[in-house]
Amino acid sequence: MTRVPLPPTNAKTFRTVCQFCIVGCGYRVFKWPEGKNGTPEPEGNALGVDFREQQPADGVWISTNMHTVVTDKDGSRHSVAIIPDQDCQVNGGLESVRGGGLAQTLYAPDRETKVRLMKPQLLGAGGHADAAWDEAVDLGARVIKAVIDRWGADAVGMKFFDHGGGGGGFENNWAVGRFFFSGIGTRRASIHNRPAYNSEVHAAGDAGLAPLTNAYVDAQLADTIMIVGANPYETQTNYFLNHMVLNLNGESQTLKEKTFTGEPTASGRMIIVDPRRTMSVVAAEAAAGAENVLHLQIEPGTDIVLLNAIARIVLARRWHDIAFMRQRTEWQTFEAYQRSSLGVDRPLDEYIAEAAAHCGVAETDLHKAAEWIAEPKKGGARRRTLFHYEKGLIWGLKNYENIASIVDLALMTGNVGKPGTGCSRLGGHQEAYVRPPYPGGRPALNVDEAVRRGEAKVFWIGGCNPVLTTLRAEAMENSLIERGASVRNVLEETKGKPVGERVVAVVEALKEGGMFILAQDLYMTASARHAHVVLPAAGWGEMNLTSINGERRLRLYERFVDPPGDARPDWKIMALFAERLRQLYEEDNNPLMANRFRDYRWKTDEDVFIHARYSFKGDGSDPMEGYAGITYDLLRKLGNNGIQTPVRLVNKVPVGTPRLFENGKFGTPSGKARFIPAHRPWPGYAATIERQRQRYRFWINNGRVNHIWQTSYHHQHIPFYRERYPIPCLELNAADAQELGISSGDLLEVENDVGRVRAMAYITDAVKPNHAFMLFGQPRGAAGDLISDHVDPATTIPYYKGAWADIRRIGPAPDELKTVSFLPRNKVE
Amino acid sequence: MADVNRRRFLQGSVAGLAVASGLAPAAGPKNADAAAVDAQPNYPSLDIAPLDSIGPGAEISFDYPDENSPAVLLRMGAPAEGGIGPDGDIVAFSMLCTHKGCPLNYLAERKMLVCPCHWSSFDPAKAGRLIIGQASQSLPQMRLEVRDGMVRAIGIDGLIYGRHTNIL
Repeated sequence: MTRVPLPPTNAKTFRTVCQFCIVGCGYRVFKWPEGKNGTPEPEGNALGVDFREQQPADGVWISTNMHTVVTDKDGSRHSVAIIPDQDCQVNGGLESVRGGGLAQTLYAPDRETKVRLMKPQLLGAGGHADAAWDEAVDLGARVIKAVIDRWGADAVGMKFFDHGGGGGGFENNWAVGRFFFSGIGTRRASIHNRPAYNSEVHAAGDAGLAPLTNAYVDAQLADTIMIVGANPYETQTNYFLNHMVLNLNGESQTLKEKTFTGEPTASGRMIIVDPRRTMSVVAAEAAAGAENVLHLQIEPGTDIVLLNAIARIVLARRWHDIAFMRQRTEWQTFEAYQRSSLGVDRPLDEYIAEAAAHCGVAETDLHKAAEWIAEPKKGGARRRTLFHYEKGLIWGLKNYENIASIVDLALMTGNVGKPGTGCSRLGGHQEAYVRPPYPGGRPALNVDEAVRRGEAKVFWIGGCNPVLTTLRAEAMENSLIERGASVRNVLEETKGKPVGERVVAVVEALKEGGMFILAQDLYMTASARHAHVVLPAAGWGEMNLTSINGERRLRLYERFVDPPGDARPDWKIMALFAERLRQLYEEDNNPLMANRFRDYRWKTDEDVFIHARYSFKGDGSDPMEGYAGITYDLLRKLGNNGIQTPVRLVNKVPVGTPRLFENGKFGTPSGKARFIPAHRPWPGYAATIERQRQRYRFWINNGRVNHIWQTSYHHQHIPFYRERYPIPCLELNAADAQELGISSGDLLEVENDVGRVRAMAYITDAVKPNHAFMLFGQPRGAAGDLISDHVDPATTIPYYKGAWADIRRIGPAPDELKTVSFLPRNKVE
Repeated sequence: MADVNRRRFLQGSVAGLAVASGLAPAAGPKNADAAAVDAQPNYPSLDIAPLDSIGPGAEISFDYPDENSPAVLLRMGAPAEGGIGPDGDIVAFSMLCTHKGCPLNYLAERKMLVCPCHWSSFDPAKAGRLIIGQASQSLPQMRLEVRDGMVRAIGIDGLIYGRHTNIL
């Protein structure tokens, strides 16, 4: 395409936030009748831009992927343009590769997104067939009731989205949580990407910290930014480009001088802990100069050793923040931490030499990291260090101690609750924390196991795709197939019979080991394919929703298109089921259960938001949550800058919180933060993992890449993205590739004792010999097929990054890879 | 629609680094009406360089379809998508990054085009597809032909950064 239509001056305008990553960049939406385009002179288009002229760099532009044509329910066709918002402080007008294609994710009957789910479907012998909402809800609700009545609430298993952004938001999160926790009361709940309903950062919570402590501007103010197990150029793009880079290249110097009068400031430095030399490392070096970037390319599983070694050096150099610790932390926990985690009973040099060898990094680099983090500045001012971590640490060797070790380092150096500091997740997706409390304890029940072993009689999958993403992914799929088969058969046999009779037959099948499966999603996913009841959900842009980003910035994502067919927002789907269950329990003279499903008569998206809001008033009982006084109207006025949570009412005016813990009060009973001691400085590999390590040559690191959002649920239907990674890539070191006779683009098979998966070879110097990195969770190759069922027993969090396997070439690049570039993804010069 | 005055014929001089420039200011119609927005642009033809002057590794800057649109012709040394010449290895691309419009650098050793602003990179052997980075479309590729021994630009596949249509 060599042209895009311009929005006319009377185009409808909306504000929204990208549906993808945690950063939540602001976007402007224009919608106008197809063909009624604006004109290039500034007064002739809604952008007010003179398109008769070439626009300058950083100007306003509509790329071809920023425009599409949609068809609303009444058959009317409209142009839609979605462009980055220059007034949004988060992205300042920058788009990411994902956000630049938001328009392409919209449903269109004449493009590939036409495969969206349009109607509820029921599974029979001949596959899925359309059904009415009433029929699908009635059948599903009756089976759920029968299962609760016979086996108890825990026999209803679920794996649901728990996030903001697309396919989530406060509205849908609240409705789902309310239905399963306050309504059904099941403990067999699990979050989209893992086997249980649990925090990914329990240790941070136990220490009294929240997952998201800082404001993005802190990345412009820090002396040093330390990033552990994350690749922000690719996966938190505009936080990196619009905040971190401005610090690294000196652009934020004026802001620093204004903020920190009398304190020495200079361009920022960055420490990146990552086994790969990613584009983030390369881009940071380009921005800051290589001398201001320290890349610690560790061996897998050694984060705890590394972080504790750095902390030990800080302690030995007496760079720890004693005043902060005395005032803000429980001092005795610091003493315990020194003994258990920092090896203070051993000579420093010996401890550091051992740690360096273990991690595969130089001792001098450990010392340099400690200096960059904590060496006082000229005149004695404390260095301001901002700590960030994500899946490399979260999905690492030992979730609990991994997180504890970075939180401990941040506390010890006093880097929480002050400008230019913080200790936060970088985040994956956006957040929408509101949910009633999970009815289970800790560690949470492992739902994947319950699905495999038969304790879950119902399994409801919402807005996620465990067949591609969970550990032992193939075993998950086999369970869905095998345990679903008998239910499928009885549904076929009882077709056309009264629903009561059908439910009795289903329950008989469940007694014999069957499982009744529901799925609600945008598309017929690899998981939904096995569901007996498939429910079409509305997505981003098709309903109003609210979410927070990685600095807790709450905004309204406006609805600007109709959902396709009969798709409905998730909150509405939950309300339909709740209402039907209430009726069924009333008919059954069971008011106790009927009452659990009351008050779902929301009329609008905002009704749900307001309902959720009442539970989170911002009274300080939760460090992150608080939405007092927020309405959609207020959020509309605040636009894409929104307001940072927790929000409290001060003189009846909602006031946000850009940075947490500035008041020095942490989320513990004493109000003081706690150090979390590691039980052992080096926990070692679990037996399952150690067996794999002994048996297979390659470490199969895995995660996301720049172009692709999660399972490609949208991106597989958009050529620009799909054609970049038609098959998941597997990064391989050139020496290893040569030894195995592998060229870039070759088809590979990766195999271990858990399963096998295919990938396309991508030869790079980003990974060390005997390391590999695979794009995770793809329809044509799920790295989850290689992941063992080992979880951290303290948290039920998997070691997704911990798979070892063998790699072999199975053939040359197929024709579909002819257009794929295999040039390096980590070079700028 | 471009008028005939916008057609510029420029000769690249020798192989290697030859910069073609000096286009007169664009003189096209300024007030395209709404209907014209969707019309197929009438691209000018532009002589870039004689084919026999384009040696291995050639990198020739030129402007196309007008002086505000910098472009580069590259001889890749191996067949490239959309390439012309006896080896099918001569290609040309817009040099404005399709992310935010910064001028790209060509890394001759790596055979990739990289943006110094936000580090998007593009593969000139693969029709300007994004290797990594934040652009949301491929780099516009100049359509080339050889006529009477001269390599000429005759059109563009893809929208140039900062424009709603390639011919302003």
